[in-house]
Amino acid sequence: MVKKEKSFLKEIQKAFSTGVSYMIPSVVVGGIFLAIALSTGTATDEGMQITNSFMQNLNDLGAAGFAMMIPILSGYIAYSISGKPALIPAMVLGFVANNPIGPDGIQTGFLGAMILGVAVGYLVKWCKTWKVLPTIRTIMPILIIPIFVTFVVGMIYIYVIAAPIGTFMDWLVRVLGGLQGGNAIILGLVIGAMTAADMGGPINKTATAFTLALMAEGIYAPNGAHRIAVAIPPLALAISTLIDKKKYTAEEKDLGITALFMGLIGITEGAIPFSVKDFKRVMPAIIIGSAVGGALGMLNGVEALVPHGGLIILPVVNGKIWYVLSMFIGVFVSVGILHFAKPNVVVEKEKEGKVLAKDMSNSKIIEGVGNENGKISN
Amino acid sequence: MKIVAVTACPTGIAHTYMAQEAIEKECRARGYEVKVETQGGMGIENELEQEEVDNADLVILAVAIGIEGEERFDEKIDEGKVLQIEPQEAIKNPSQVIDNAERL
Repeated sequence: MVKKEKSFLKEIQKAFSTGVSYMIPSVVVGGIFLAIALSTGTATDEGMQITNSFMQNLNDLGAAGFAMMIPILSGYIAYSISGKPALIPAMVLGFVANNPIGPDGIQTGFLGAMILGVAVGYLVKWCKTWKVLPTIRTIMPILIIPIFVTFVVGMIYIYVIAAPIGTFMDWLVRVLGGLQGGNAIILGLVIGAMTAADMGGPINKTATAFTLALMAEGIYAPNGAHRIAVAIPPLALAISTLIDKKKYTAEEKDLGITALFMGLIGITEGAIPFSVKDFKRVMPAIIIGSAVGGALGMLNGVEALVPHGGLIILPVVNGKIWYVLSMFIGVFVSVGILHFAKPNVVVEKEKEGKVLAKDMSNSKIIEGVGNENGKISN
Repeated sequence: MKIVAVTACPTGIAHTYMAQEAIEKECRARGYEVKVETQGGMGIENELEQEEVDNADLVILAVAIGIEGEERFDEKIDEGKVLQIEPQEAIKNPSQVIDNAERL
């Protein structure tokens, strides 16, 4: 929106992150309410039937949360690209993407909504460059931009791109929804590795966006794998500081306690201070551990119904035993790698004077980050 | 030296505030005046007024998402006094970030 030399790809990535950022509370409302309501139902041939009227109302609230999530996603993708005038046209079109339209009743879900959000964003950006008379300028944002943009992008969508995207989405949902065996393992490995790769950064959030989008299509297993994986890096480092006391300094052991709590509540960032200090040993350990955990979760059909991780979401997980087991096995793998890869602190001091000096200069930064971690977990 | 900054990450619960802390700490260590606005999950906190932005020597935008009130910085961007980075960079290496900002 502001910096002109900003690359197109970066702008798109930022737009998707913005969309996901605003969408999350809506997914939480939908996921939690639906999960609670459905858990009280009785299983029938046509799925869960909710008999209690209060729970039926809760179910309806949850369904509304899920219905809003796709329009919010497309709206804020466009908002990130070209600001306020793009917000509502993109929300309207996101609703269109998420509901059957045209003679064939095509739905394109999150993928259609993301494309429409980007299209609206750039069309509005172009509209804003028009040189118009001052009298017309005043009605641009309330009359001309919303009508023009919604009409143009909406009609192109319905007549041209809805069918191919819809076909692709059907294929995607069918394939990802029915993943078993080897394919499930691969998807789980990729999701798990991405989750740990930057501990809450853009790669992690790409995995989050992907799994959230699939939740909108009623596929919860990739989210299960992701939510198992988010807890593994902080838990693994916490446990590693507890059992391999010689390999960590006193401040690291304190950070380990913080990381333990952050792991239980599913905040991957708890592992950051450790990886800042010892990137080349910590990163492989947590990436491999998270990948293993993710793969085990996928393979065993663990489904998480909310967009959050750690052990605190256990009540709204389908496949609770494997959720916990996958997490612990992943942690075990990471701790094992750390055990063999990390040298003892003392040895490092004796052998490599340079490394020690470097570690000490880093420790100030780490201390700062650690304090902040402490605040968050409070 | 007066520095103002905005931090924002997609989830808005961890990186936003870690980046804020890192920038504040580094600036204080150098004896600079600093104010960091956060746009996390709770919305805008510690909001920067237009006047504060105008009076600042440097602006750091450590943001991974589109932020609110970006137009406040238009003038500073035209002056070339705005450093745009990812929140992670500020957390991992705050001193280098401030060094880079000073070179603007």
